[in-house]
Amino acid sequence: MSAAALAADPVVPAIDRTIDSYAVVTLGLSKRFGRRLAVDGLDLRIPVGSITGFVGPNGAGKTTTIRMLLGLIRPTSGRGTVLGHPLGHSRAYLPRVGALIEGPTFYPALSGRENLMVLARLGGIQTKRVDAVLRRVGLGPRALDPFRTYSLGMRQRLGIGAALLPSPQLLVLDEPTNGLDPHGIAEIRAMLRSFADDGMTVFVSSHLLAEIQQICEHLVVIEAGRLIFQGGVEELLAARAPELIVRTETVQDAVQLLRLVRSVGRSARMVGEGESTTLEIAADCHWAGELNRLAMADGITLVHLAERRSTLEEAFFEITRSSYGQMRRASDFPRGDQGARGAWTPEAGRR
Amino acid sequence: MIWKSFESEWVKMRRRRLWYGSYGAITGVIVLTTIVTIAGALHHPDARGDLTLGQLAQASGLSQGLTQSGVLLGAVSFSIAAFQFGGEFAHGTLRNLLVRQPRRSVLMAGKCLAVLTFLIGAVVVATIVAICASFVMAHLRGIPTGAWTSGTGMGDLGILLGDLTISACGFAIIGMIAGVLLRSSVIAIAAGLAILLPVETILTDAIPGTARWLPAQLLESIAQGGTTTAPFEPALMTVSAYVLGAVLVTLLVFVRRDVTA
Repeated sequence: MSAAALAADPVVPAIDRTIDSYAVVTLGLSKRFGRRLAVDGLDLRIPVGSITGFVGPNGAGKTTTIRMLLGLIRPTSGRGTVLGHPLGHSRAYLPRVGALIEGPTFYPALSGRENLMVLARLGGIQTKRVDAVLRRVGLGPRALDPFRTYSLGMRQRLGIGAALLPSPQLLVLDEPTNGLDPHGIAEIRAMLRSFADDGMTVFVSSHLLAEIQQICEHLVVIEAGRLIFQGGVEELLAARAPELIVRTETVQDAVQLLRLVRSVGRSARMVGEGESTTLEIAADCHWAGELNRLAMADGITLVHLAERRSTLEEAFFEITRSSYGQMRRASDFPRGDQGARGAWTPEAGRR
Repeated sequence: MIWKSFESEWVKMRRRRLWYGSYGAITGVIVLTTIVTIAGALHHPDARGDLTLGQLAQASGLSQGLTQSGVLLGAVSFSIAAFQFGGEFAHGTLRNLLVRQPRRSVLMAGKCLAVLTFLIGAVVVATIVAICASFVMAHLRGIPTGAWTSGTGMGDLGILLGDLTISACGFAIIGMIAGVLLRSSVIAIAAGLAILLPVETILTDAIPGTARWLPAQLLESIAQGGTTTAPFEPALMTVSAYVLGAVLVTLLVFVRRDVTA
C-alpha cells in the first residue's frame, strides 16, 4: 500500500491523514514467532525531525519492531510506512535510512575504514563519505586500526558511523549506549543531539531511561509487544503530579504542619521518623510560597522545601507495571512517590 | 547492482591473511599432490597400472599430478565459501549488509561471484606454482619434459585447468549453500566436509554405481576430466542440475527467511 493509499484509508484515524508529518507510521503491526507473539498490533507514529525514544523491558519486542521497519523481518500482519513508503518496499526507503541494530557487528580483521567501505560499496556511497563519517564520529585517528582492537565505545561509534553513511533522513539506533561508561554515554548523547540539529529523525531504543529523558522529546513505550504509551516525554511526566517535600525543625512541627496543610484542602502525608521526618504534599512549586506563609503564621520554621517531579524511570516502571493491553494516555497515570528534582528553599526559591 | 555487491565483497576479501591462508592452502594442496604423484611414479609398469615415469614423459604428463588434487582442492574451496557466507550469519554482519542492499538475491549473487573469482584466481596461481614444481620434480627424477611444452601438452594443461576450476567452483557453490542454509560457518564446514568426503566415500564403496550420483564424487570426476565410473559430460550435467536446483532453493530461503541474527 502506498503512502497516499494508506493516508486515504478510511480505517486510518484522522491523524494519519497528515502522514507526511511522520517518518514512521505503523498500523496493527504484529510478528509471531511460532507460538510467541513478539509484537502485537503496534500503532507507531514517529514525528519527522524528532528524537524519539523507544523503551520497554527486555523482550518487549523493540528489536523485532526495528527489524520489521528495516525489512529484515517480515511482519505477520499489519502495515505501515517508513519515509512515506510501504514497509514491504524497503528498497525504496532504506537508501535514506541509517541503522545500528543490536550493537555494532563488524568484521574483526578489517579496519574501521574497511568495514565502512564494505557498506559504502554495497550502498553505492562515495568513498569520501566514509572518511567524513569517521571524522564525525571521532574515529579518524584510529580509522586504519583493526576493528577487533577497538574499545566498546569506539565500536559503538563505528556502528553509528555506519548508520550515518547514507546521509540518512531517518536514523534508527538500537541500544547505542549499551555497555558504555558515563563519558561514552555523554558523547553519544551529544552526537544524537547534533544529528537532530541536522534535521534527521532519530529513533533510539535504550534501557537507560535517564538518557532517554535527557535527549528525547517523543517517547514510545512497549511491553510484551504492545504499545502502552506514545507521546511527548513532557506529557508523560507532567501528568504525574509533582510533590513538595518539606522538613521542619521538630517532629511536633511536622505533625502541626500536616494538620494545617490538610485543613486547607491539600493532600499530604508524613514519612520517616525522628529528624528525618518529612512531609510529602500534593502540590507544585507554585504553592510553595503559600505553604511558607502558612507555616510562618503558625510559628513553624521550614528547614527544607523542595519540589519533586517524577522521573521517566518512575513513569516507566509505573506504566509497565500497569495491566497492559490498552493504550493509555499520560493523564491516566497516578502520581509517583520517589525521586527528587528541582529543589526549592524558602530563601532562594527554585534552584 | 550485482557489481556493487561484488565490489563490496572484494573489500573484505582483499585482506592479506585471507589471501595467504586461502591461496596458500590451495597452492599447497595442488603442489603437494603434484610432487607426491611425480615422486611416486614407478620406473616400470606394475600389475595395478600405477603411474610410470614413461607415462609422465608424455604430453599429458604435466597434468598428471594436478588431476589428483580435485578432492582436496574441493574441500578447501568448499570451506572458503562456507566461511564467507556462514560467517555473515554467525557474526551478525548480514543485517548491516541487508540494510544497505535490501535486494537479497542481488547481494547473494554479488557475493557468490566475488568468492568464485577469488577461487578461480587461487586455482590459476596454484596451477602455475604446481607447473614449476613439476619441472623441478621432473628434473630430479630424470623425466624428459620436451612433450610437456608441446602444443598437445599445453592443450591438455588448459583443459585440466578448466576442469579443476569447474570442480572448485562446484564445491564452492555447495559451500555457499551450506553456509546460507545452516547459518554458521563452523557447522557448515564440519557437516559439509563430513558428508562430501567420508560419507560419500563410504557410500561409493558400499553401493556400486553411486559415484554417478553423489555430488563430491561427480566433482572429483570432473576435476580428473571424467572417470570410467562417472564420465565427464554426464557428471557435468548431473552436477549442474544439482547446483541449479540447490541454488534456487537456497535463494528462495535466503530471500524469504527472517534475519534474526
